[in-house]
Amino acid sequence: MRLNKVFSAWNKERLGLTMIIASLAVIAVTVFLLFFYQQKNEIAHIRDQGTNLARVLSRLPYEQLVPDQGQQSALSVLKHGYTDTDFAYLTVVDTSGRPLTEISSPGVIVPRAPLPSDPTSWLGERDLSLGSSGRVVHEFHAPVFDTGRIAGHIRLGYFSPGFGLKPGQIPYFATFALLIFLLTPIFYFLLRREIRPLQQVNSQMDILIEKAHLAKVEVAATGELREFMDRFGQVIDSARTRIQQLETDHSGLVTTTKLIDYKRTRIESVLHSLPDSIMVLDESGSVGMLNAKLAALLGVRPAEVLGKKPLEWCKDQNIVEFLAGYAGKSFRSFSTDSIEFSPADAPEKTIVVTPYPLFSPKTASQLLGTLVLFRDISAEKVARQSSGEFIAHVAHELKTPLNIIAMYSETLQSEAGRTEEFMIEAANVIHDESERVSMLINNILNITKIEMGSMGIERKRVKLRDLLEDAFKDCARVGKSENLEFRLDLPRELSAVAADKELLRIAINNLLTNAIKYNRAGGTVELAAEETATSVLIHIRDNGVGITAEEQERIFDKFYRSERDDIRAKSGHGLGLSLAREIILLHHGSLEVTSKPGEGTEFTIEITKESDLLQQAV
Amino acid sequence: MKRILIVDDEPHIIRILKLALVNAGYTVDEAYNGEQALAYLEQHQPDLMITDIDMPRMNGRELCLHIRQKLTEHEFGIFILTARAEMEHREWSSALTRVSFLEKPVSIMKLIVSIDAYFQENQPREEHKHAG
Repeated sequence: MRLNKVFSAWNKERLGLTMIIASLAVIAVTVFLLFFYQQKNEIAHIRDQGTNLARVLSRLPYEQLVPDQGQQSALSVLKHGYTDTDFAYLTVVDTSGRPLTEISSPGVIVPRAPLPSDPTSWLGERDLSLGSSGRVVHEFHAPVFDTGRIAGHIRLGYFSPGFGLKPGQIPYFATFALLIFLLTPIFYFLLRREIRPLQQVNSQMDILIEKAHLAKVEVAATGELREFMDRFGQVIDSARTRIQQLETDHSGLVTTTKLIDYKRTRIESVLHSLPDSIMVLDESGSVGMLNAKLAALLGVRPAEVLGKKPLEWCKDQNIVEFLAGYAGKSFRSFSTDSIEFSPADAPEKTIVVTPYPLFSPKTASQLLGTLVLFRDISAEKVARQSSGEFIAHVAHELKTPLNIIAMYSETLQSEAGRTEEFMIEAANVIHDESERVSMLINNILNITKIEMGSMGIERKRVKLRDLLEDAFKDCARVGKSENLEFRLDLPRELSAVAADKELLRIAINNLLTNAIKYNRAGGTVELAAEETATSVLIHIRDNGVGITAEEQERIFDKFYRSERDDIRAKSGHGLGLSLAREIILLHHGSLEVTSKPGEGTEFTIEITKESDLLQQAV
Repeated sequence: MKRILIVDDEPHIIRILKLALVNAGYTVDEAYNGEQALAYLEQHQPDLMITDIDMPRMNGRELCLHIRQKLTEHEFGIFILTARAEMEHREWSSALTRVSFLEKPVSIMKLIVSIDAYFQENQPREEHKHAG
């Protein structure tokens, strides 16, 4: 954290610090250059002065330089008039280097140094070290002649300018440094003033980036920056407009996507809810879509077959070959023929496969793919078959009694039928068979009406006790000749039921007729009723031939007749029980059978009481 | 005298056919289903069999197939007399030898004429058989 603060402070004040460092560098460089220049100047000055003075002195007559005793030397004159601070010494030496006369600055001992003997090197300069202080002296030397002969040398020494400021130079350099140092803040503030708008722009841009919101950057600026900021503002404006437009477009797209998604979901749910199984093949013949029903029918998972051709996953070779014919079909060659097949794992089923062309909504002649409908027609087939069987049964059941009637009446017309005995028999047979035909037709009509739902059930309050007594009396009268005992066992009070009286009567009659028909000599037929809390139970009992367990499972099937001889000996068409049960079911009741072969049979009808029906309705 | 076996589960049919055929000079035996007919055939050799198709136990189709495939010693003709008019019954019966298909209701007179004609046609073979 602290390090971050330091960095941020550094970033903020970078300019000021840079300015200070730069100004210090400028001061240092300027002082160095000035110093260097002065040094160079001084050296040049020393050389100039030294060389000239050495030459002037060299031309002076020897006597003036080295006077006799009591006379004043030119050197001492020079000494008084020469006050240069750089001056170290001036000496005249003989050819062996022994000083003849000399003057020097205080504290300076003229160093001993041999002079060149070669005449070309008599005039020259050199650096010598003063032994005591270690200072360096720049020495100029020139020959001294006495009457045309070399009499000695002049040695003139100046202190070499040292590295370091002389006290007199300090104010000079300090003035320069101060001037530069005073200029620094001025530059700094001027620069800052120029930079401030840019900093404002920068910090406002930070806000723009952080808040991700484009607003015009307001900055107080002048000149080119003003122009730049105006242009920049225009860019921001246009960016904002563009972003707004994009946002509008985006929200439009989101809405459209949602709408499309919703429509797609709806279409898919429609396809999945269809009672039929469907598949969509694209132009290449690969599966583009199939609904769950088809996946279940073909025993595949939708995800596994999508994008694949039927060849890759379909087990049924016929289907594969059939569907392969629809890959890359053009609209003209499209055939809507269908085929039938039975799935390998459900051979009892019959499926019709019908292809339909999928046209492009824009170009009607362009084929987008194929919609393949798989329709399970097993039930229809069974229904067709059973309705065919039903009609065949009806025809057979009608023809049999009619055939008997026809044969008897034909015989009556012939010689053989002219006996009284036969005529009585024929009359009875023809009567019975006519009854049989009539009853069969009634039963068929009733059953058909109930099954087709066109039987209007007229539910009214029925006094069950009266209805049962009537039915019992009728049946006892008809069965009087059968040598049977008839018993009626009804409670004194019996609740009313809401029922169609005529239909209920037919059901009870059919059960009673069976009890008489399939009884045995001396047997009994009993009609009894009882009540429970919610319903009425009607029992029809006999102690006749009975029904085996296997037969009990089929006795309510239409046209079912036992194979047993004792039952086949009685005329019947196998519709009575079927009709009775249909009627009871129509009343939301139940019809059950319990029986033991050779001991007897009991049918029990259960119908809900009227009061309970009312309560249920409320 | 020619012996005719009538197989039908309707007693009235047997009764009336028997009356007519006896009057026409035939000896008539009766059976109420296929099983009874086979039991009869173990002991007797009829000259003709008239049978219904819809019968309990063994139906007419099973009976005819059994006779023609298993009881090949019996060469008598078979008249199928049925109320079942479906094509499939005509088909299986036409595949068997010496089987005629008659659909109910049929006139007794016409039936007797057909039976007489059948015996007329098969007379020489019968004689040949007796001679052999």
